[in-house]
Amino acid sequence: MILLESHNVVIQNTLAEKFNKPGSIDVVFVDFDGVRFRLSTPTSKEIIVLSMNIRCWDELAKYGVTDVLQREYGSRVMPQPEADYHVSLEYAIDSIPPPGEERDALIKAASLLKRNALAAPFENAFATQKTLESSETSDLPGQLMEIHYRDEEAIYIQAANDRVTVVFSTIFKDETDRTFGKVFLQEFVDARRQNTAMQHAPQVLYSSRDPPLEIRNVAGLKRSDDVGYVTFVLFPQHFSNPERMQSTISHIQLFRDYLHYHIKCSKAYMHSRMRARVAEFLKVLNRAKMENKEVERKTVTGRTLVQR
Amino acid sequence: MATKDFRKINIDQYDEDVLLEEDLYDHDPRDPATVLAETKQKAAAVRGLIAKGDIAGALSSVLENAPYGPKVDDAKILNLQTILLLLNSTKTADIPSTIKALSSDAQDTLMKYLYKAMAMPGYADVNSSALLTWHEKLTDAAGIGCITRVMTDRRTV
Amino acid sequence: MSSLRPYLVAVRSTLTAAMALENFASQVVERHNKPEVEAGTSIEALLNPLVISRNEKEQVLIEPSINSVRMSIRIKQQDDIERILCHKFTRFMMMRAENFVILRRKPVTGYDISFLITNFHAETMLKHKLVDFIIQFMEEVDKEISETRLSLNARARIVAESYLATFG
Repeated sequence: MILLESHNVVIQNTLAEKFNKPGSIDVVFVDFDGVRFRLSTPTSKEIIVLSMNIRCWDELAKYGVTDVLQREYGSRVMPQPEADYHVSLEYAIDSIPPPGEERDALIKAASLLKRNALAAPFENAFATQKTLESSETSDLPGQLMEIHYRDEEAIYIQAANDRVTVVFSTIFKDETDRTFGKVFLQEFVDARRQNTAMQHAPQVLYSSRDPPLEIRNVAGLKRSDDVGYVTFVLFPQHFSNPERMQSTISHIQLFRDYLHYHIKCSKAYMHSRMRARVAEFLKVLNRAKMENKEVERKTVTGRTLVQR
Repeated sequence: MATKDFRKINIDQYDEDVLLEEDLYDHDPRDPATVLAETKQKAAAVRGLIAKGDIAGALSSVLENAPYGPKVDDAKILNLQTILLLLNSTKTADIPSTIKALSSDAQDTLMKYLYKAMAMPGYADVNSSALLTWHEKLTDAAGIGCITRVMTDRRTV
Repeated sequence: MSSLRPYLVAVRSTLTAAMALENFASQVVERHNKPEVEAGTSIEALLNPLVISRNEKEQVLIEPSINSVRMSIRIKQQDDIERILCHKFTRFMMMRAENFVILRRKPVTGYDISFLITNFHAETMLKHKLVDFIIQFMEEVDKEISETRLSLNARARIVAESYLATFG
C-alpha cells in the first residue's frame, strides 16, 4: 500500500455490520492526527450515534466546517453533539436505505467524516481564489488560515488571485527522521522537474528551519532544526471542477501522515536489512570457532586420560 | 579526620624502579643537530641519485641510519619527505626489483616509513594508493615478519 | 580513488602479524589477566600501533599488545545519510556484541567500530578465519550502506511520484 486512504475503516466496517444486524454498541477509536471517534447506541439500539473529537475544531468552525458538514450529512448532524465531542451524527436504523449502492454510499460518507471536516478550510480557500480572480481589483492575497491539527504541527492555507498556497509545518523527532525526511522531500521537489508526466502536479517547495515567506509573520513559529516546512502551490487547474477539487483535498490533507508513514516504513525496512546482514556476519564469525573434537586419549595400560 | 585525598595519589610515580618509555631501547648516540645535518645532506644527495635514475641506491642510503627516538622530529619529517619523493617517483613495475635490492634491515625501516606515512593521510605528498602498493610488494618480499618487527621495534622513525 | 583490494590486502597482512598473542597475566594486579591493550598499565607489554589508510575517511587502526590486539575501523561516510546509516548499522552490531565475541561495545574515539581479540579468542578460534571475518566485514559494510542508501532513494522517488501523480 503506497497511498493512504482517507476514509476510516473502523467506521465503515462497524456501520456495515450494525446496519445489517442492529445491536447495541459502544466503541471508542482513533484516527490520524489524534482524532477520536465514538460509535454508540446511547438511547436504543435503533439509533447509532457517531461522534468525533478533533483538536482544531474551533479553527475549523471559523472556516465554515458546519456548512460543509450540513451539506454532506444534512439532518443527520445532531444539533447538540455528545459531551466531550465536537460533532455527532445520528443514524436511525429505520432511515437506512436497503442493502445496495445507496447504503454503501451512506456508509462511505460516514467514514469520511474526518476528511470532510478538514476539507472546510480548503473549500473556503478555493472559493476565495475564485472571488479574488474575478474581482481583478486587488492583488492582495486572502486571509491566512491556520489549522493546528496536531500538537506542534499546523497547516496554513492562503488563497491568492491565481493560486492557493498550502504550507505544512512538520516536526522530525530525531536525527534519522530528519535526514530521511530530507531525502523524501527532496524527491517531492525534484519529481515534478524530472518527470514530464508530473507537469500537472502542484509545485512543491521545501525549507527546513526557516518558514517560507507566506507565513513568516505568523506568531509563535518554532525555529529549530527539527522543523520542516513544505509548501504546495495549487493552481486553478487542481480545483477547476468539483470532482478534482474533492480529490485534491483528500490527498493534500493526508500529506503529513503520508510522509511520516513512509519514513517509518523505510526505517523498518532498514532494520530488517540490518538484521539479515548481522545474522550473516555472525555465521562468518562462527566459522572461525574451532570444533572441539574430544579425542579419547589412553595410557599404555589402557586407562583413559581425563582432563581436569 | 584529615583529608582523604591521599587515597587518590598515584604512588607508582614515586617508584624509583618504574619502567620508562626511553628505557625500552638503545638511544641514538648522535646528538639531534648532527642527525638533522646528516639527514639534510642525504636529502640533497638523493636528488642527484634520482636524476641518475638510481632509485634503489637512493632508497638504501636514506633508510640507513634513519633518525629515531625523541627530539629529532625535524629530521624525521625531512627524511619522510625524501622517502615519499622516492616512493612516488618509482614506476609500479620497478617496485619489486627496488625492494629486492635493499638489505633486510633497510626493508624493515622502509616498512616503518610506510606505516608512518599511512597514519597521516592528506599530508603533503602522501598518496595512499601508492603506499598500499608498496606495502603489498614489500610484504610479498620480506614476509609478515617484517610487519611484526615494525610493531615490536621501539625505535620509531 | 584507490581501489579497495590493496587496502584490504594491507589490513589482512598487518592483522595477521598482530595476531601473535600469548597468555600474559597482569603485572600490576595479582591474579588478574586482562587485555594489556585496554589496561595500558604496562608500557613494555604494548607494541607500536599501526594505521592503514585508504584515504582520510577510510582508515584502520591496529593496536597490538602481548596478549591482545585492538582493531578499529573508520567507515566511509560521504554525507548525512551515509553517516546515519553507518551509525545505525554499527550500533545495531555493537548492541549484539555478546554474540560477536570479538566485538567491542564502544568504538575507540575517532573510529566507527572496534574489535578486541585476546589470546583466549586466538586459542579457541582459528586465527586466519578471524582475519577472514574482519576482512569480509569491511568489504560488505560499505556495500550494505550504499545499497541501503540506494533503496532509500528509490523508495523516496516512488513515494513522491505516486503522491504527486494523484493530482494529475
